[in-house]
Amino acid sequence: MPKDTSANQTLLHVDNISLSFGGVRAIRDVSFEIKTGEIRAIIGPNGAGKTSMLNCINGFYHPQEGTITYRGQTRKQMRPHDAAAQGIARTFQNVALFKGMSTLDNLMTGRILKMKGSFLLEALYLGPARKQELEHRAFVEGIIDFLEIEDIRRTPVGRLPYGLQKRVELGRALAAEPTLLLLDEPMAGMNVEEKEDMSRFIIDVNEEFSTTIALIEHDMGVVMDISDRVIVLDHGEKIADGTPDQVRDNQAVIEAYLGVSHD
Amino acid sequence: MDFLYAVTVAPLLDIGQDPTFFAEVVIGGLMAGVMYSLVALGFVLIFKASGVFNFAQGVLALFAALTLVGLLEGGLPIIPFTDFKLPPLPVPLAMAATAVVMIVLAFAIEYLMLRRLVNQAPIILFMSTIGLAFFLEGFGDAMWGSDVKSIDIGIPDASFERWGILFNQFEIVATGTAAVLVAVLAVFFQKTRIGRALRAVADDHQAALSVGIPLKTIWVIVWSVSGLVALVAGIMWGAKSGVQFSLSLIALKALPVLILGGFTSVPGAIVGGLIIGVGEKVGEVYWGPALGGAIENWFAYMLAMVFLFFRPQGLFGERIIERV
Repeated sequence: MPKDTSANQTLLHVDNISLSFGGVRAIRDVSFEIKTGEIRAIIGPNGAGKTSMLNCINGFYHPQEGTITYRGQTRKQMRPHDAAAQGIARTFQNVALFKGMSTLDNLMTGRILKMKGSFLLEALYLGPARKQELEHRAFVEGIIDFLEIEDIRRTPVGRLPYGLQKRVELGRALAAEPTLLLLDEPMAGMNVEEKEDMSRFIIDVNEEFSTTIALIEHDMGVVMDISDRVIVLDHGEKIADGTPDQVRDNQAVIEAYLGVSHD
Repeated sequence: MDFLYAVTVAPLLDIGQDPTFFAEVVIGGLMAGVMYSLVALGFVLIFKASGVFNFAQGVLALFAALTLVGLLEGGLPIIPFTDFKLPPLPVPLAMAATAVVMIVLAFAIEYLMLRRLVNQAPIILFMSTIGLAFFLEGFGDAMWGSDVKSIDIGIPDASFERWGILFNQFEIVATGTAAVLVAVLAVFFQKTRIGRALRAVADDHQAALSVGIPLKTIWVIVWSVSGLVALVAGIMWGAKSGVQFSLSLIALKALPVLILGGFTSVPGAIVGGLIIGVGEKVGEVYWGPALGGAIENWFAYMLAMVFLFFRPQGLFGERIIERV
């Protein structure tokens, strides 16, 4: 059941964003907002500009027009590591993990921005540095428990099956304690059981850590079940925005997905 | 039969007969090995941070050595259209200035080359390092000329005897320098956050960016460090055999070292270099005559090939994992 988040504050504001690559317009004049604490889905047919939209939000792409306001700060350009530093974490459509590292190291790397301290102490692995490493380790172990991946803690992630890799990737994003979590097709290529697990994790993350989530997903059943509000993109334009029920009944959406005869 | 005897029994008898001489050969090999390790180190650093074999590493060493010699000799017109020429600098100052040049070069490489190639396939980055190698060679030539130069940083190249074994002072200094360098690098890259960030960058640029690792900073750090390692290697090799353009070919000697030690391991570069150095010298002295001599030239490559059969990731390299 979608929860009512209409009274919540706006966490992210996208205003009249346009993005093009050469002559190809990936996003045309799209605006929407994400409210604190909600699960916001972005759906649409292939090539609708969904991933481009996430890439704009976390700074991989810089839109030619429009602004993005995050936590009250408006900006035209943001570098990816600035976005990460301000609490935007993400996963990728085609799993982007550190394949040579173990699950544990992947998650620890996800925490890299939380780690501070003197270079020298760190190098010598002394005092505060050691204590810090242990604290981060404890936090990461918490995530490992949460995602039920204890048994693959030491396995190099390159060797894991796809579904588990997706779960580790979610773990790495969570390790950063994000304010806004961007998930790009978290359930692509999964079987029904794995999808159910993933849906459960997403809902739990949202409820327990009160993390705001924006996700792209193709499985309509999942989207309608877990999201509070849905944006529909088609050919780079926003064609609908509302609760799952509103979107489902929207004529433009039905046409975008099923095609329409022009006679 | 004679041949079998010559390659199996005779060398061992020789070793047994004169252990002091054997020790000298081994020590000579270790010293040469340290020089190989120094070159290989630069490769490992860049490979760890970008998964790319830096074709320009040898040229980087050459460029560093040329710059140092140029500054020691002085006479570079640094301000165009005037008669002002750089005076010869004393050794410490020239070294510091060269170090600064290498760091500036790292910034330039990041800005002009790497920044534009984020998220490209490793082969593309590899090609760009080939371009860099040609550029640096030409640039070095234009700046400092192509004569063979000698480099003198004040370390005496004398030999002395201890416990009946002959030692070379210069080689001992080189070994000490390499040892310190390696210790510092090992700590720097394995015990600090930077180490983890480095491995992350090597594995996946996009993912590294998304967890908040500033790719550009990491690249500048790595190229600076590997430029400084190249400087040390350039000085040592230059002092030994003169600063000349064939110096860039020492990169070829580093290849078997890397295959042996593993492309991703700092200790591997050291151990690999030592094995190759000792193997070459011992092989040349004891097995060389039976095999027609001059085996020093191909021994390293042979050894590397054998390693590729049995342990393609090298002695200390990360396991190669591939899902199929």
